[in-house]
Amino acid sequence: MSEDVHTLVGAWALDAVDADERARVERHLDACASCAQEAAELRETVARLADVTVAEPPARLRENVLAQVRRTRQEAPAARPGEAPAPGPVADLRRGPHRSRRSPRLRLALGAAALAVAAAFAGVFATWAVMQQPAGEGERIAAVLEAADAEVSYQEAEGGGRVTVITSEALDQGVVVVADLAAPGPDRSYQVWLVEEAGQVSAGVMDPGDSSATMLVEGLGDTLLVGVTNEPAGGSAEPTLPMVADVALPA
Amino acid sequence: MFDKGAEAHRQDQPRLSVVAGAGPDTAEALLHRTALGEDDAFAALYDLMSGRVYGLCLRIVRDPAQAEEVAQEVLVEVWRTATRFDEHRGSAAAWITTIAHRRAVDRVRSAQAAGDRERRAAAESAEPEYDSVAETAAGRLEHRQVRRCLKTLTELQRQAVTLAYYGGHTYRQVASLLDAAVPTVKSRIRDGLIKLRDCLEVSR
Ligand SMILES: [Zn+2]
Repeated sequence: MSEDVHTLVGAWALDAVDADERARVERHLDACASCAQEAAELRETVARLADVTVAEPPARLRENVLAQVRRTRQEAPAARPGEAPAPGPVADLRRGPHRSRRSPRLRLALGAAALAVAAAFAGVFATWAVMQQPAGEGERIAAVLEAADAEVSYQEAEGGGRVTVITSEALDQGVVVVADLAAPGPDRSYQVWLVEEAGQVSAGVMDPGDSSATMLVEGLGDTLLVGVTNEPAGGSAEPTLPMVADVALPA
Repeated sequence: MFDKGAEAHRQDQPRLSVVAGAGPDTAEALLHRTALGEDDAFAALYDLMSGRVYGLCLRIVRDPAQAEEVAQEVLVEVWRTATRFDEHRGSAAAWITTIAHRRAVDRVRSAQAAGDRERRAAAESAEPEYDSVAETAAGRLEHRQVRRCLKTLTELQRQAVTLAYYGGHTYRQVASLLDAAVPTVKSRIRDGLIKLRDCLEVSR
C-alpha cells in the first residue's frame, strides 16, 4: 500500500487526486521523510509550469484585492507541534520533517522565480510582446534575458511608470523596457540615452505619444546610466533636462 | 552639463538582484513583511505575483470573469495565511502558485460537479489571447526553459502532466482522456515530474 502512496505523490503535487487520496498522501508525508522531501521538490517543480501562463489581470483586481485585504484579519502563525495543523495543501506541505537548509533544487527554482519577479517589476506584462519586435530582434532580446550574467536595474520614472534595464556584460547588450510613463504630451516623444563619463548618445526615440516601449541596445561599452527624456516628436540631438528617469547600471 | 544634471537628479535606487533569496524585494521578503501586517509589502507582492496567479487561474478555469474571482480569493488567502509561510519548505512563488492552482482546480471541479459544463464549453471555445501577453521579458525566459524541459519528457509523460496541471483533471480523468491504464498514468506523472525537476535544475 505504501508503494501505491509513493507513486501518488506526483499526482498529488499536480492536485490531480481526489479528496481521499489527498488525505492519504498527506498522512504519509507526515510519516515519511523521503516522500516529504520529494513532495516539496515536486511542488516546486510543478509551480514552474505556471511560468508559461502569466497574464495581466484587469486593473480593478488590484483595487478589489487591496480593499478586501484591508478588512481581512490575518491568521495566527503556523501551528506548533501538537496543535492541529491548518487544512490545505500548502500547510500540509510544511508539515514534513523540518529541513534546516533549503535544498539546492529549491534554491535554483527560487532563482527563476526571482527573474519572474524582475519581469513583474518591469511592468511589461501588458505592453511588451516579444513577438511584436522586428524580425530577429525578439531572438536577440531573448538572448540577453537568458544570458547567465543578466542583471536587472530599474527606476520609477518621474510622473509614473518605470524604466527597467536588463544588461549582459558578456554580450555587451542590454534591453530597455519603458513602461507606462505619463503621456509625453502633444507632439512629444520619449527618447532613451546611454550616458557614460564622456557624455551621452541617443539609443533611440520612441514613437510620438507612446509611453511604453522595449528596445535592444547593442554595444553598452562603458554606459553608466540609461536615461529617458521628454523631447519634441522625433527626438533631439541633445537631451532636454531633467531626465524622466536615469537608471544606473551595475558597476 | 548633462552629466551633472543627471547626477543631480540621480537617486539611490534599488537594484533587483536575480540571485536567489537576496535583497529586500524578493517574494520571500515581501511575504515575511506581509505576515507582519504590512500593507505596502503586500501591495508589492501583489505587483510581483498577480500576473502569475491570474494567468494560472485563467488557464485552468478559462473564463476571465471566474478567473478574476478565483484570483482574488487566492490573493486574499495569501494575505490571510502569510503568517504560515515557511521558506525552509519552499519558495514563495511556489507557495503562492500552489494556492492558486488548488483554488482554480477546486473551482473547475465544483463546476463539473454542478453539471455546469455548458458554460465551461462556451468559455473553452472562446480562448482568450493570453498566450501572446505571456510572451514577456523574463516570462519568455521562463517560458522557454519550461517548454524545453517539457520536450525532454515522453509523449505520454508530457500529456499526462499538462492535462493534469493546465486542464485541472485528476489522474483518473487523464487516463480516460488518453485512453491509457490508470496505474500507468499515475506512474508516468510521477516520473515525468521527476524528469522535469532534474531538467529545470540542470538548466539553471
Ligand atoms: Zn514514503
